[in-house]
Amino acid sequence: MSAVLGLERPQVVSHVQQALSYTVFDCKWVPRSARLMCLGSAARGTGIIQLYELHGARLEVLREIEKPKPIKCGTFGATSLQQRFLATGDFDGNLNIWNLEAPEIPVYSVKGHKEIINSIDGVGGLGIGEGAPEIVTGSRDGTVKVWDPRQKDTPVANMEPVQGESKRDCWTVAFGNAYNQEERVVCAGYDNGDIKLFDLKTMSLRWETNIKNGVCSVEFDRKDINMNKLVATSLEGKFHVFDMRTQHPTKGFASVSEKAQKSTIWQVRHLPQNRDIFMTSGGSGSLHLWKYEYPAQRSKKDSEGSEMGVAGSLSLLQNVTLSTQPISSLDWSPDKKGLCVCGAFDQTVRVLIVTKLNKI
Amino acid sequence: MPVWLREHSWRQSLTAVYLSLPLRGARATAANIFCSEQYLKVSIPPFLFEAILYAPIDDKNSTAKIGNGNIFFTLYKKEPAMWDSLTLANADKEKLQHLRENAVLEAQEKAKEETKAKKITKQENKKYALEATMKLEEAERKRIEDLKEKERQEVTKELELWKNQQKDGDKYKSIQAKEELHQEKEPLKERKNEKLNKTRIPNEGSSKTRLKSTRGRGSCSIFSQDLREEQLPAPRAAATIKVNFTPRVFPTALRESRVAEEEEWLHKQAEARRIINSDLSELEDLKEEEKNPDWLKDKGNKMFAMGDYLGAVNAYNLAVRLNNKLPLLYLNRAACHLKLRNLHKAIEDSSKALELLTPPVPDNESARVKAHVRRGTAFCQLELYTEGLQDYEAALKIDPKNKIIEKDAEKIRQLIQGTMQSS
Repeated sequence: MSAVLGLERPQVVSHVQQALSYTVFDCKWVPRSARLMCLGSAARGTGIIQLYELHGARLEVLREIEKPKPIKCGTFGATSLQQRFLATGDFDGNLNIWNLEAPEIPVYSVKGHKEIINSIDGVGGLGIGEGAPEIVTGSRDGTVKVWDPRQKDTPVANMEPVQGESKRDCWTVAFGNAYNQEERVVCAGYDNGDIKLFDLKTMSLRWETNIKNGVCSVEFDRKDINMNKLVATSLEGKFHVFDMRTQHPTKGFASVSEKAQKSTIWQVRHLPQNRDIFMTSGGSGSLHLWKYEYPAQRSKKDSEGSEMGVAGSLSLLQNVTLSTQPISSLDWSPDKKGLCVCGAFDQTVRVLIVTKLNKI
Repeated sequence: MPVWLREHSWRQSLTAVYLSLPLRGARATAANIFCSEQYLKVSIPPFLFEAILYAPIDDKNSTAKIGNGNIFFTLYKKEPAMWDSLTLANADKEKLQHLRENAVLEAQEKAKEETKAKKITKQENKKYALEATMKLEEAERKRIEDLKEKERQEVTKELELWKNQQKDGDKYKSIQAKEELHQEKEPLKERKNEKLNKTRIPNEGSSKTRLKSTRGRGSCSIFSQDLREEQLPAPRAAATIKVNFTPRVFPTALRESRVAEEEEWLHKQAEARRIINSDLSELEDLKEEEKNPDWLKDKGNKMFAMGDYLGAVNAYNLAVRLNNKLPLLYLNRAACHLKLRNLHKAIEDSSKALELLTPPVPDNESARVKAHVRRGTAFCQLELYTEGLQDYEAALKIDPKNKIIEKDAEKIRQLIQGTMQSS
């Protein structure tokens, strides 16, 4: 934490606060616009999708869509910039892709899982990366499934427990390593602390580890490059940053971990414009802004001569407490640096601006 | 009896009285002088000077100068008038006493008032200081708030700008898209025509290519779009990856802080299961009473009394299997082993008994004494006399009145000394 102190540090400014009449589970910016989506569950047990536009100091509702089942998560990751279809996972295990201009009938729908889809991620769309657009969903039934919107009904990859093995809830999924058409990797975090890395090119398990606490959120710093860093957050206020460039045959990836707050860290999101800055949101309603610094040498040889990664260090740039309830979802705007939206369990969605990120 | 100082000299003006008092070698300090409105006393043991003044004086402003073996008083009169004499002439003893007491009381009261006044001023000063610091801090806070507010406003302005850019950008893009769509249709038609006219009208074909080049941008984009669509690989071949999870007994998520509790719970469950299992598996052919550890203990005791040591050991073994938390079982088994000369086993069992008897309360005194004695005996029979002595001394500590233990301890000490001397 060098010369960045006092008012020179990035400040988190709360720009707009909007009270909602439903529990919000996920909020995402609509790419290439000043609009955002909130997904959640109304008190009467139905799903809500709301589309807002940012007007000055307030959010204006553009559209409200109600669906029969509560919606847990959504992503724009797998659509093209022109179409901007939203893929959602709901409490019943259904994966739907919606055209927000005509939301009555989904563009793609499948009952992918037997239980709630906890987490969803998309890759290949939005002009980012190469390769087929794919969506991955992780569910409480212990399976992680990868879908191609062009293929109906069956997933293109299915990571399921071995026959007879008792299942663990999958809490989070993320795509990574999609730097060319063939390569792709899915990282999944489970409630027993397992993190598993599946290579979709070879259809095999590439790496797994256990971080001793249930894994709430995993994210690669960029989906569309050779995998560089992976951040995994967990219960008990801990998170780990893995250096994914060097895989040791037995020790796996090097990591540094930090215990940030006493409560669960619900989400981690990297800043789209700078892959070494990320924000974690916690169960105490606080947000922490972190910067990762690379070590002098990212890999070194161990005693047997095989390459081993070296983890860097973390510094806390800023932290702020916005709410008394957990902040369960967080998203940076890909278009404006420092603009982000977060949704908390106190039924409010907040638009925040993080200043001075240029000076980091 | 004090020595009165009588050789004083005085003179007066209208407003003040000047009194000079030689001290006859005694040393005076401020503490020796006591003055009130109408009473003046200088007491330097054994010397004493007191005077009931003719008229009241202003004792606050009056001064006394000590020096040169002399005290020089400057007393300011309350009422400017000439005094007939320094002191009141007819003053009988009672009046004197009365006056003295009054004087003392007055002085006390004055002192009290002074301290009160001091306190009040101190408090006020403190308050003032506090308010000053508070103001400073407020100012600081306000400064920071203002800075933050300014940033917020700047940022909001930027955001608005950006948003408007976005809007314009969107409009521009939609116009572009429409144009592109328009242009798409044109070249497509042209291409179709081309195919038809290809062989027949080569000139026209060339002109058409010219035309095409002017709309170059439009067609390029369509072509690139087509290419891009073709570039998207086909959906993957479906496959399944089988996954193994780190085993976890509980259906809840793993938390580090709960791991210890969970381990304990599992341990207890395992213990309970073990006992139930051990009951069930081999002992089905035993009678009901034989599954009761207490009954088995009694049986063992009886066998010990009769001299059947092996049988007693068996009974105790079975009892231990059923319930390994009863210290008496180990204690009695130790006794059996002693008789059977299984000394190591005896030591083990007495140790286990002592472990189970851990809260050293008066209730299990006798048991602990027995355990120590048995272990001590075993040690001695193994010729480990020092350890044996340790145990005997422990037993003595618990029960100092036991003569037998004392005697045995003595014997062991002699043995040790004997071996030390000889070696």
